[in-house]
Amino acid sequence: MSEVAATIPDTPLFDRAGSIRGYRINKMAMALGQPANRAAFKADEEAYLDSFGLSAHEKSAVMGRDWHEMVRLGGNLFFILKISAVDPTPITRIGAAQASMEHEDFLHLRLGKKRNG
Amino acid sequence: MAKIIGGLGTSHVPSIGAALDKGLRDTPDWKPFFDGYEVGKQWMRDAKPDIAVVVFNDHGNTFFLDRVPTFAVGVAETYNPVDEGWGPRAIPAFEGAVDFSWHFVDKLVERHFDPMVCREIEVDHGLQVPMELFFGRPEAWPVKVLPIWVNTIQYPIPTPQRCWDMGTVLREAIESWPGDERVVILGTGGLSHQLQGARAGFINQAADRAWLDGIANNPEPYRAMSREDYVEQFGSEGAELIMWLVMRAAMNSDVNLIHKHYHAPASMTGAGMVVLENAA
Repeated sequence: MSEVAATIPDTPLFDRAGSIRGYRINKMAMALGQPANRAAFKADEEAYLDSFGLSAHEKSAVMGRDWHEMVRLGGNLFFILKISAVDPTPITRIGAAQASMEHEDFLHLRLGKKRNG
Repeated sequence: MAKIIGGLGTSHVPSIGAALDKGLRDTPDWKPFFDGYEVGKQWMRDAKPDIAVVVFNDHGNTFFLDRVPTFAVGVAETYNPVDEGWGPRAIPAFEGAVDFSWHFVDKLVERHFDPMVCREIEVDHGLQVPMELFFGRPEAWPVKVLPIWVNTIQYPIPTPQRCWDMGTVLREAIESWPGDERVVILGTGGLSHQLQGARAGFINQAADRAWLDGIANNPEPYRAMSREDYVEQFGSEGAELIMWLVMRAAMNSDVNLIHKHYHAPASMTGAGMVVLENAA
């Protein structure tokens, strides 16, 4: 299944490989569903990420809010959205970052919204 | 026996609940979306169901990757809304249709399904938002719920055919239940959207509009489609639409399409709704 579906361009599916690769990032993000963990994340982000055993590369992707890279490292959007909830970052900005587009262009060209002004 | 009074299909985008929480219902972005659901809410008021079966997927809120049930069924007395990272939402808890839910579990296993059976569990926007769209914001929900979770997050997700098969067992469970409850079935998720990868933001309005008619009048091609076809036509997260097949398979082959509504985009999603009734 995943081998076949992987042929749909620019469409990573969250398969076995992604689930294994992204386990730590996703576990860290899942924990942000708890208010105490959100507070710990806000108080000292790096210490919070260390407590979940993230690698230096994973930490830099999270701390730099590099959504594209987080997904490439196996982060699944439904988990890493909890990082965006802490910020907060609109989901359309995460979409634009993955599509490598300016936010306004993304809203217009992908989602079909009228341009402002 | 209990009676199936309708099959509904709807999107369950989390931003819909957030828009209601923030009082954005009548803003230009959201008004056309919510206005289209008014006929669905009115249908629900008139239909007066006792039980709502809600077929949905968790979005990394209740289930983590440590255990991923392909299908899970709730048998709890109460389902609280889960904190998805934004803090608790001010909506009432959902009362479970406990005995009926256990009856459904019995039927499933009898028919060779192997669901996870959940006695204590919270529910995310996948169940909350469809309930809000059709019942508004009551002090207490006017129905009991039977939640069915389908894994659409981690591959392998179930095949469309398997979802269809579950719907036929759901129908059998409803028709063999000794009570006289009026049951409405909500298939939720979709329509087209993709949140991940360079194709993020993919919306396929033509496929979405065809879906709303096709699921009512000619569902056979959708049952036969592969998961790859769903991803290609509706986007990686648009494959959630397989969950509408559970609802559709529980209905008669001939249904009347009472209401439909489509609006794009709702957040990053092509959003839609149908109300189906069994044809006489």
